[in-house]
Amino acid sequence: MTAAISVAGLTRRYRGHRALDDVTVDVEAGSITGLLGRNGAGKTTLMRIVAGQEFASSGSVRVFGASPVENDQVLRRMIFIREDQAYPDVKVGHALRVASWLHPNWNGEVADRLLADFGLPESRAIKKLSRGMRSALGIVIGLAARAEVTMFDEPYAGLDAVARQVFYEWLLAEYVAHPRTLLLSTHLIDEAAGLLERVVVIAAGRVVLDAAADDLRGAATRVSGPALAVDEFTAGRPVWERRRLGSQESVVVAGPLARESSVRT
Amino acid sequence: MAGLDADAPLFAQVAERLAAEIADGGVAEGERVPSSNELAAYYRINPATAAKGINVLADEGLLEKRRGIGMFVASGARLLLLERRRNRFAERYVQPMVAEAERLGIAAGELIDMVRAASHAQDGLIQEGLAL
Amino acid sequence: MSTWINVVRYHLVSRVNYLVLPWGWLAFAFAVDIVIFAFIPVGHHVVPTARGIVQVQDDSGRYAGGMGAIVLVFFAMGVQSVARSLPFALALGVSRRSYYTGTALLAVTLAVGYGLVLAALQAMERATGGWWLATHIFRVPYILDGPWYLTWLTSSVTLALLFAYGMWFGIVYRRWSLPGMLAFIAVQVAILLAAALLITWSHAWPGTGHFFVTLSAAGLTGLLAAATAALLAGGYATVRRATV
Repeated sequence: MTAAISVAGLTRRYRGHRALDDVTVDVEAGSITGLLGRNGAGKTTLMRIVAGQEFASSGSVRVFGASPVENDQVLRRMIFIREDQAYPDVKVGHALRVASWLHPNWNGEVADRLLADFGLPESRAIKKLSRGMRSALGIVIGLAARAEVTMFDEPYAGLDAVARQVFYEWLLAEYVAHPRTLLLSTHLIDEAAGLLERVVVIAAGRVVLDAAADDLRGAATRVSGPALAVDEFTAGRPVWERRRLGSQESVVVAGPLARESSVRT
Repeated sequence: MAGLDADAPLFAQVAERLAAEIADGGVAEGERVPSSNELAAYYRINPATAAKGINVLADEGLLEKRRGIGMFVASGARLLLLERRRNRFAERYVQPMVAEAERLGIAAGELIDMVRAASHAQDGLIQEGLAL
Repeated sequence: MSTWINVVRYHLVSRVNYLVLPWGWLAFAFAVDIVIFAFIPVGHHVVPTARGIVQVQDDSGRYAGGMGAIVLVFFAMGVQSVARSLPFALALGVSRRSYYTGTALLAVTLAVGYGLVLAALQAMERATGGWWLATHIFRVPYILDGPWYLTWLTSSVTLALLFAYGMWFGIVYRRWSLPGMLAFIAVQVAILLAAALLITWSHAWPGTGHFFVTLSAAGLTGLLAAATAALLAGGYATVRRATV
């Protein structure tokens, strides 16, 4: 696999605590990778460092084989849209114009259609946009830029469920039309799950899981029913969660269950 | 993900659905099946996942690739799939039915009568053009 | 190189911020000055002559502070050019170095342009005898008092100086927020105090005073240019590790 982003031994220390602790991960070129984790796990810090917006305490980051820090050549091929992106005091249309100058692959038609789909008026001042609209703006810019490495950090803050589906559909359509490396951080795992090829899970600044999305499906199974039957059925498997109510039990065990075994009484 | 669940790998579910469509005659032999991009857009999943599902069927000889045009249902695919389903029929349908009947205290003889009656009803529906 | 140009275009994408507002402020301050001085009678002083007491109009004219507005505006623009505009530029993939250089380019361009207009306004003022009210708005004694090209140079340098100063403040704010800004100001005050103490101890006040008094307008401009360069260097050093 050719890695578009290569992070090795990355550590970021703040006063007293480690936001990132010895993180090593590769993001394959031309893929959709999900960065999952709870709030404060370190997803944003990781992405900021990869985008050259934040500095590492130790370790290395390579994008297209070179360090992105203060590197115009590499940075030009990347775009990083954050949940709390700060915009200058201009209108929506202005921000799009600026983005089009700085990104050689910019597609104005896609931008226009995205604006229409999100109902975002070009002439509105950005500081007057609602939170959802600001997120939509970030998505428009992030997708229309068609940057080789496109990173989204929880880009749907304030977007309702319908708008989020619009985002996912556009993301897929754009990915198919113009393949690129996509890194998407989210805590809405269920919604994004189908889009991801690879999943990286971060907890307390460390990578706890780095696997193909398909391998994870079936990595655990919930078995529910009469307690005795459940216990017999799941004997010998590591149990990750057990809930009981009366004679009923619900257990989460490791590993998938063979198709045939799901048929027994 | 329109209709796919979180229980099994997505690519496997995609493969299974395509197989079911072929077996049921929804797409005929020699007909083109949706491309991986089309499937990805429909199910709202990653194109690579959809492609994997298609490849599973291609590896089993159920689909054949025609360069530059797409994937087509191979000849004999339907029969192959129906036979597979036949082999699984006993395990999938008969065994659970027998087990449930036992739980409810329905004797074998009564069970067989019920099966016959249902079979007649199905024939009747077919004659009236209302079969499932 | 093209990145610098794009940064300049970025700042100017909304014409209002850098190309309209400053003029608005200048026009407003100008109007205020004119209105005030239109109502204040021109000063006279009494001169005793052989034939009796004579009233002579003060010909030195009155000085108004309209220029202060544009000077403050340039400082504010400098702050805004970093405080508000840096994050989006970084998100789009511009390095801090390129951003700073491009913005400095903007500063110089704006300063030279506005400086030229100020020089032109000064010429108009002279031609109309102080806007027909013996009022000096665009003429500052000693500094902005000479030929038009010197006025242009001095005002350009001064405006650039203030923009650069504002930029540095903006960067300090980006890196260390409000506490940082206060510390920044405190450090500057401390340096000035230290300089004053040093001069006092070495009994160099007369020397310092003499230096400044004998400094020509051109010399002062050179000093201001050096200060501008120093501020730009300081800002550059600070922006390298700024995060958004």
